[in-house]
Amino acid sequence: MTGRRWYVPWLFLLPALAVAVAFFIVPFANTAVLSFTDASTLGGGTFTGTRNYARLWSDDQFWLSVRNTLLYIAVVVPLLVALPLGLALLVQKRVAGIGFFRAVFYSPVVASMVVAGLIWSWLLSSDGLVNSVLRGLHVIAAPLPFLTDSRLLLFSSMAMTVWKGLGYYMVVYLAALANVPKSLLEAAEVDGAGPVRRFFHVTLPLVRPTMVLVATLAAIGSAKVFAEVFTLSDGSAGPGGEARTLVYTIREVGLGLGGEAGYASAMSIVLFLGTLGLSVAVTRLNTREERA
Amino acid sequence: MPSSRGIRLAVTTVTLALATSACGLGSSGSSPGADAASPTGKVGGTITLETLQLKPTFTDYMTGVIAAYEKDHPGTKVNWVDIPFQGAQEKLTADAAAGALPDVVNLNPQFAQALEAKDLFIDMDKGASDVKSAYVPGAWDAFKVPGKDGSFALPWYLTSEVTMYNKDLFTKAGLDPQKPPASFDELLADGAKLSAAGKGSFFGIHPALENRFITDLAKQGVPLLDASGKKWTFNTPDAAAYLQKLVDAYKGGVYPQDSLTQNHSKENEAYQAGRIGLLPSGPNFLAVIKKNAAAIAANTGVGPQITGASGATNMSVMGLLVPKASKNQATAMDFAKYLSDAQNQLAFSKIVTILPSTLSSLKDPYFSTDGDGSPESKARKISAAQIATAKNLVPVQYDSRVTAAVIGKVQLALQGKLTPSRRSTRLSRKPTRSAAPPADARPARRPTASPKSRRAHDHRCGWHSPWPPAPVPSRKPRPSSTD
Repeated sequence: MTGRRWYVPWLFLLPALAVAVAFFIVPFANTAVLSFTDASTLGGGTFTGTRNYARLWSDDQFWLSVRNTLLYIAVVVPLLVALPLGLALLVQKRVAGIGFFRAVFYSPVVASMVVAGLIWSWLLSSDGLVNSVLRGLHVIAAPLPFLTDSRLLLFSSMAMTVWKGLGYYMVVYLAALANVPKSLLEAAEVDGAGPVRRFFHVTLPLVRPTMVLVATLAAIGSAKVFAEVFTLSDGSAGPGGEARTLVYTIREVGLGLGGEAGYASAMSIVLFLGTLGLSVAVTRLNTREERA
Repeated sequence: MPSSRGIRLAVTTVTLALATSACGLGSSGSSPGADAASPTGKVGGTITLETLQLKPTFTDYMTGVIAAYEKDHPGTKVNWVDIPFQGAQEKLTADAAAGALPDVVNLNPQFAQALEAKDLFIDMDKGASDVKSAYVPGAWDAFKVPGKDGSFALPWYLTSEVTMYNKDLFTKAGLDPQKPPASFDELLADGAKLSAAGKGSFFGIHPALENRFITDLAKQGVPLLDASGKKWTFNTPDAAAYLQKLVDAYKGGVYPQDSLTQNHSKENEAYQAGRIGLLPSGPNFLAVIKKNAAAIAANTGVGPQITGASGATNMSVMGLLVPKASKNQATAMDFAKYLSDAQNQLAFSKIVTILPSTLSSLKDPYFSTDGDGSPESKARKISAAQIATAKNLVPVQYDSRVTAAVIGKVQLALQGKLTPSRRSTRLSRKPTRSAAPPADARPARRPTASPKSRRAHDHRCGWHSPWPPAPVPSRKPRPSSTD
């Protein structure tokens, strides 16, 4: 044990600790403090107690944002748990040219959000590809207002989120599927289980922890959604801003010369607590099921 | 006792959740410098000038003026920083919060107002009283803040909207290509004919609501704000009637469907793409159109600004402001006067279709002749003639937040989700925070965009800047820029 000193491990931790403190802990603490003040983006601010939080209760726009965000989570999370798994199963087999398809499915992940927004705007505009095809097939007589109807805009944004996340979670599932022991699948096959039963009784239970991880990550991502709504609506969050999400509202309230940093911080703290609660709930559910 | 795995997972989830919410909306104190109403001291040393989106098109002009100033004033140095419109609001907010505004800053009234209200700039009524009479009175007054004495900028350059139109599309629609619309009713009627002729391939007009709606109300004699400057007053039958016309136009397909939430930059793009036939906008956009769409520019005609019952024409103003916190106020003020003097503004106006804010420059024959007969010359003559009686019709309280709130409701009205009369009632129920509500008033409902805006900040950016944003597609609400 000679030559070892208590502070040596801390020296190794120091760089990561410094980054965490500077870029996560301090901003978070600052946000928490600001949430109890009437600070503007130009600084200043006095302590106002819980007034910002009380104001949230009667802020229709805040609750609209919460509702839209919850709807976003409710729709996007199941899709992002299920669809990438299906995609991963499809591209799991090592056959000629499968690498190409894996790359194609992954390509939206590396595309910037602005590019993705432009692509989806072109697709969904009134004279875009989707409307043109539907009209060409005589499915619709007039273009569907994907970008100018608040509800459709929200669902269009969800489609974009799913499209962009598919490849990422597909790779996560591919790693999980690679860890499913072949011996178990072979044993099930010997026992007469078909592909569907093998999937539900062997693969799925073993992949379930990954599904929980995907659900947690997708839920956090959906709670933070902003760019999709912003880019598809030209920054307006739809007519009357009715497709606004929580982060959109936080940004809107907190930025600019008339920004209310204090109030926006209170919203951020609520988002934090909501996301934390969601993450803990998913984790606990999974832990409980594992023990059962 | 929780398992170590459980603890690890819990720590992970806390960290993940923490990362999602650490928005970092920091604050730092800003303290205006000493109140130097009339800067004194020796002109010399280094100052910083910050402008909005003048590079690269006007780099030669600006560097030329700066070099000439430095030559005339030995010992001075001007560092020129140019920032794009996008993000400018955020940058200036951060600079102001940090007490690090440049020595001379180029802003428009709507944008400057929030900073002026914080008492950050020198009152030009006192600090530059010697040159006040040289400027167009309406332009000088544009930088007044309701409830405060003084005016906080030297007017720099102006624009007054003209009506640009695509003569080819006019012909296709059976309209007289020599006769642009002169009133709002004619605008909507011509727009309807163009859209009918286009059958979806082109339309008559784009609403660009964030840029135009409130100005159009003012032109039609609708009172926007009461004398106290604290209450919006545009809940009138005239306003409701005008909005109903817009609703009918939208339902009738006069506007492209997706234009509902699009801003002025999208309108410009649509005009340059030949997708709309009419573009009421600042004449400085002619240069942009010429650069990006030569064929459209060749077929572009210009007419006077569309006016309403009041007969008033609107102008947009850019100004030069000197922060009280400047450590070299004497030089900053001297340079701001130099940059906006008659000679330099006249030279600037000969590069691009803008108007000088100095009275003597406006008397130059350059502004009263057709010149080479080009659309630019015609637009220059028209807008110069308009500027004599033009005013900045939009109250400075109509900032990005109010813009977003108002336009959000107008969008809903156009979709038939709010009736025009109900919309205007809802809009004027409460004074907005920016219109200095009483202390016990509940803060204004959050705007719908900006932001859009915001944006527009949006946060929609409801700027009324005379300057064209770069003609590149953008998903973010852009500063509006018309008349």
